[in-house]
Amino acid sequence: MRLQIAILSLVAFAGGAYAAAPMEDYKKVPMPPGFHVEATELDGPVFADAKGHTLYQWPFKALRNGITGDPKGKSLCEDVVSQTNAGYMSPYPGGLIIPDVETRPSCTQAWPPVLAAADAKPVGAWTIIARKDGTKQWAYDEHPLYTSHLDSAPGDVIGATSHSGRGGEHAAVRKPVGPPNNLPPGFEVVSSNNGRLLVTAQGNASVYVSDKDTATKSMCDVTCTIIWKPVIAPEFAQPTGEWTILERSPGVKQWAFRKKPLYTNITDNREQSLEGSDEPGWHNVFLTEAPPPPKEFTTSDTTAGTVLADKNGKTIYLYICGDDAVDQLACDHPGSTQAFRFALAGGGDPVRANQRFPMVPAPKDAKPTSRSWTPIDIDPMTGKRGKAGDPGVLHVWAYRDRPVYTFAKDEPGDYEAEGLGEFKGTRQGYRAFWLRDDFYGRMN
Amino acid sequence: MKKLLLAAAASLALGTGAAFAADFTPPGGTIAYLVTDFFWTTYESPDGKEECPQGFNPWGPREQFKALFPDDGTKRTELETHLAREIAGWFPDTKPDTFPFYEVAGTKSYGMNLDGKIGPNDFTSPDGEKGIDNELYRVIGCVLNLRPPEGPTAYFANRAVMEERWNRVMFELTKVDSLTNDDDIDVTIYRGRDHILMDNTGNNFVPGGSQRLDTKWGKKFTQHMHGRIINGTLITDPIAKAVIPWSSFTLPTVQKFKDMRLKLKLDPQRATGLIAGYVDVENWYMQTVKSESTHHQSYGQSSPPSIYKVLRRRADAYPDENGVNTAISAALETKMVQVYIIHEPGGPVAALSAPMKHAAVTDEAPITIADAK
Repeated sequence: MRLQIAILSLVAFAGGAYAAAPMEDYKKVPMPPGFHVEATELDGPVFADAKGHTLYQWPFKALRNGITGDPKGKSLCEDVVSQTNAGYMSPYPGGLIIPDVETRPSCTQAWPPVLAAADAKPVGAWTIIARKDGTKQWAYDEHPLYTSHLDSAPGDVIGATSHSGRGGEHAAVRKPVGPPNNLPPGFEVVSSNNGRLLVTAQGNASVYVSDKDTATKSMCDVTCTIIWKPVIAPEFAQPTGEWTILERSPGVKQWAFRKKPLYTNITDNREQSLEGSDEPGWHNVFLTEAPPPPKEFTTSDTTAGTVLADKNGKTIYLYICGDDAVDQLACDHPGSTQAFRFALAGGGDPVRANQRFPMVPAPKDAKPTSRSWTPIDIDPMTGKRGKAGDPGVLHVWAYRDRPVYTFAKDEPGDYEAEGLGEFKGTRQGYRAFWLRDDFYGRMN
Repeated sequence: MKKLLLAAAASLALGTGAAFAADFTPPGGTIAYLVTDFFWTTYESPDGKEECPQGFNPWGPREQFKALFPDDGTKRTELETHLAREIAGWFPDTKPDTFPFYEVAGTKSYGMNLDGKIGPNDFTSPDGEKGIDNELYRVIGCVLNLRPPEGPTAYFANRAVMEERWNRVMFELTKVDSLTNDDDIDVTIYRGRDHILMDNTGNNFVPGGSQRLDTKWGKKFTQHMHGRIINGTLITDPIAKAVIPWSSFTLPTVQKFKDMRLKLKLDPQRATGLIAGYVDVENWYMQTVKSESTHHQSYGQSSPPSIYKVLRRRADAYPDENGVNTAISAALETKMVQVYIIHEPGGPVAALSAPMKHAAVTDEAPITIADAK
């Protein structure tokens, strides 16, 4: 069990409904007319345009052999179709013709700039930059804003999430942008496969709550505090929104969130740990839980943690891909080139790729269970969207509109394909859908 | 028992005479060691000429790419160049290589005599032991990337031992009456959950730390061996199969051994020596390819498709139904420090490893378990 608020509203669609993403408490920031804040399932509150489409930035990123992304006050995303790779990623040189270049979109086709009217005026952190073609573009914190051609509904983060490209040597990816969460100083929220995890700002240590506590009383005594360290509130701290303060002992104040006092666990030795929740009665804190996968999915314990698994217990993988053109477009979506995936999964052969990394079939009558989990139809020979019922077209589960996979050689509990690809699969390759990654990565 | 452990830890940490006595009986007949270093052992002469008379391999991924696709103005696609080379690494074959590959040509190697025989391809150890089986050394010994300790692949894999805990490997010896001679020793391999205790420079491993056991995820890594201590050296019987957690650049992988055995020089504070056996070839290769991108392989002229061909050619054990060997003789060189394993949750703690940075919204110093005991 995790601490979170109840989800009340539903999103209806033809043939069903699923729970709408709750709106997390956020700090109200001034916005120009026509913009508002939308709730997302995976990234909390985001800025959106009048249609509800999520706004993104393209942060500057140093790659192995160069730097790309938008610097402050300038957009490098242009209406030009990149023909060749840039050679940012070692060891391959630039100047090589990109696969399927004839169908590759330009940067602005994939990421339409959020244009400002000629008479638009800056508002707060919202500023206006001049594009190369003479048009004006909105920027937030001086970074130009875009929408994604993949998003179609309010709250979509199909284009990218703040979780996209976490760790490793990923492409210079886009990130959704929104108002800051309404948190006291010293706390942060990070997006994860499990949801929006509350952590300390310094050290990204997980914070926990205990079943035994109430809003005004901590039951964690001196012995308990050897392991569970109360998150101390400064003397001048004030309650705000879902945040309150209790006095543990005269003059010692502790933060509470959603009526539960907060602690860190002294034995956690990595960021964003979930290990404290193994102790009965103790829980991590999620502002919003990630939407659950469709019911036929399971979980599987491995030697490194817990993964999402198919109905047979086989590890679920996501395919990650960013090309190496100057505009660093993603190549992980059925709408993009499949040449990279077919190369990695099948040595260039789609049949072999589908045998080694089969997509996870969805029942014929499967319906979306959230914005994140949807059934889609894929022509496995092209990797592109297919027409339901057409010969060979597969009805498969997709996460953020991208098929999910298993690996043929895996047995339940295996994750043999983890990191298969370029730069451990962070640039192009397969990564398991980790729900617990306790033994993965560096310690603090 | 708690007092005993604390006293022993203090004694070890202070380097008192008791810890360095000629013979040593560990408290309760139990002593554990934690791996701080491991890398594939290679015999390296000062200039490399003895084992690599042709020099080190010059044909890494960059060099091969340049030879195959010279910068001559030809317009090329990623499919026929970049992705073709990646495919060659992901789907390697045993066809003859178009590039030369320099294998170790010397006769000396560290390692162990795994098959009990002295064959024509066997090495002789630097101290004169004949019959050393270490064909993996023959494959990697002239590849700079893989020569420890400076070779980047070897360096980063070893660094991962310190920085990560996926590969927190411990060997616990029980029924120990003497650390000098004892003919009946049980050895259990465990995985720990904590930092390795370091000195205050952050550069040196210190004996006497504590490790909680990973009993949730690491059951697969709990393995049992039997052996004996002869003149301060632990020698175990081979076990049919063993799996050792391994990491490089944070990717959790494993090394799969057959007939794995230990040869470790012991003292109350440290153990050094070899973990030897036959290593699964496919697993060794894919572990390397997954952990080390082509970029990292390029640091030291390590070309996966070329290495694979030699690896398969030099594999010397466990033939499959077609008679093709699936495993290759190898040895890990290892260093370990003594550690106290906490078998029960909340059990006695001798010395807590470096705590996490817990200064969340306060400057208060973190409370440690050790403070409270």
